[in-house]
Amino acid sequence: MKILLADDERELVNAEAAILRKSGYEVDTVYNGGDAYSAARDGAYDCCIFDIMMPVMSGIEVLEKLRAAGDSTPVLLLTAKTEVSDRIKGLDAGADDYLTKPFSMGELLARVRAMTRRAGSFSPDVLRYGDISLDRNTSELNGERSSFRLGTKEFGVAEYLIRNAGKTLETRRIFDRVWSEEPDTDAGVVFVYISYLRSKLSSLGSCVVIDGSDSEGYTLR
Amino acid sequence: MDDINEKGAVATPESDFYKESLVLFEGAISEILTRIDIIRRYFVATGRRDPVEYCKARVKTPQSTKNKLVSRGLEPTYENALEHLNDVAGTRVVCTFVDDVYSVVDMIKKQDDLVILNEKDYIRDPKPNGYRSYHMIVRVPIHLPEGMTYVTAEIQLRTLAMDCWAALEHRIKYKRDVPHKEMIRDELKRCADEIASTDLTLKTLRDVIDKME
Repeated sequence: MKILLADDERELVNAEAAILRKSGYEVDTVYNGGDAYSAARDGAYDCCIFDIMMPVMSGIEVLEKLRAAGDSTPVLLLTAKTEVSDRIKGLDAGADDYLTKPFSMGELLARVRAMTRRAGSFSPDVLRYGDISLDRNTSELNGERSSFRLGTKEFGVAEYLIRNAGKTLETRRIFDRVWSEEPDTDAGVVFVYISYLRSKLSSLGSCVVIDGSDSEGYTLR
Repeated sequence: MDDINEKGAVATPESDFYKESLVLFEGAISEILTRIDIIRRYFVATGRRDPVEYCKARVKTPQSTKNKLVSRGLEPTYENALEHLNDVAGTRVVCTFVDDVYSVVDMIKKQDDLVILNEKDYIRDPKPNGYRSYHMIVRVPIHLPEGMTYVTAEIQLRTLAMDCWAALEHRIKYKRDVPHKEMIRDELKRCADEIASTDLTLKTLRDVIDKME
């Protein structure tokens, strides 16, 4: 699980990051809204934590821009303010949860756990990217002319890639995400499933491709 | 036992209707089958994998030829069948993997004494019910005592998996007025998409293994 943590109070960020890392998360830290936006846009995170009051761009602005671009990564907003209007604004902008400063680390961890557990349940039934769509109800990968029904793992890989379209996903993360229940599986399986999806995309005549390799990671574009 | 007529030929419902044109239709089929067979044997002789699993062929039954002609407002005669129908002589080439279908199609196209009249790629653009195959209409040169004549024939190419679906779908042949018709149609299409997915998965797995070796 990878978390993006953005707050301009460096000491607080570093303390939070240390505790999150100790709890087993990978953490990237940034200290202003502009960096938070570019990191979230380019990187694949399982959860983002944004402070509302940040230089360059507020946490709410970052969130609005991400949601407008179709990014559905769970976002938790941190606010020093206790005004209800701020929380409403944040939630309406697409935040999944908020936490008012000061908060206990235990509560932050619990909220992150809850959010990442829920991830996916808020997602639309049909994910679209370029000229393809992935339908959760039928497990079908649809192109303009034809469609394929995907198996569970294949669907999982496709979903993760489409959700993070344009972002490079490390092979290990794809494996951890899709084969989390079978950690003893040979990690070479990722390449095989990427190959399945590549041949299906090409057979659909789609302009969407999966770039990359096991060592570079994979990117859907 | 079939009756033998005065010319010494076996009289069948086919020869009763098609008369001497039966030789042309059967000739077109045996031409196509021979050409495919030579390709297959050459693959094996040169140490390569044979892309074809098996071939099937048939001359359309007189009844269904007559029905088709009548439905097009034509007299049900063998002359009209020769002139107007493309699928009286039908050959089906069942290949191993999806890419084998395309490579056999290419080999057929290279045979420049065949005239390709039409091609339909229902693998790339499946029919709404999920049917997948590659269809070709070709004119096959047949040499008769009087000289060469062309006979039109259909070649259907598909994989084992596509053939499996088509054969089973044909067997299920649900009645037109069955309840839940749409649900059954959707389910059959779902099976087609699922089989197509597995078909491509097997081909890709073969590629992955080939690269590992």
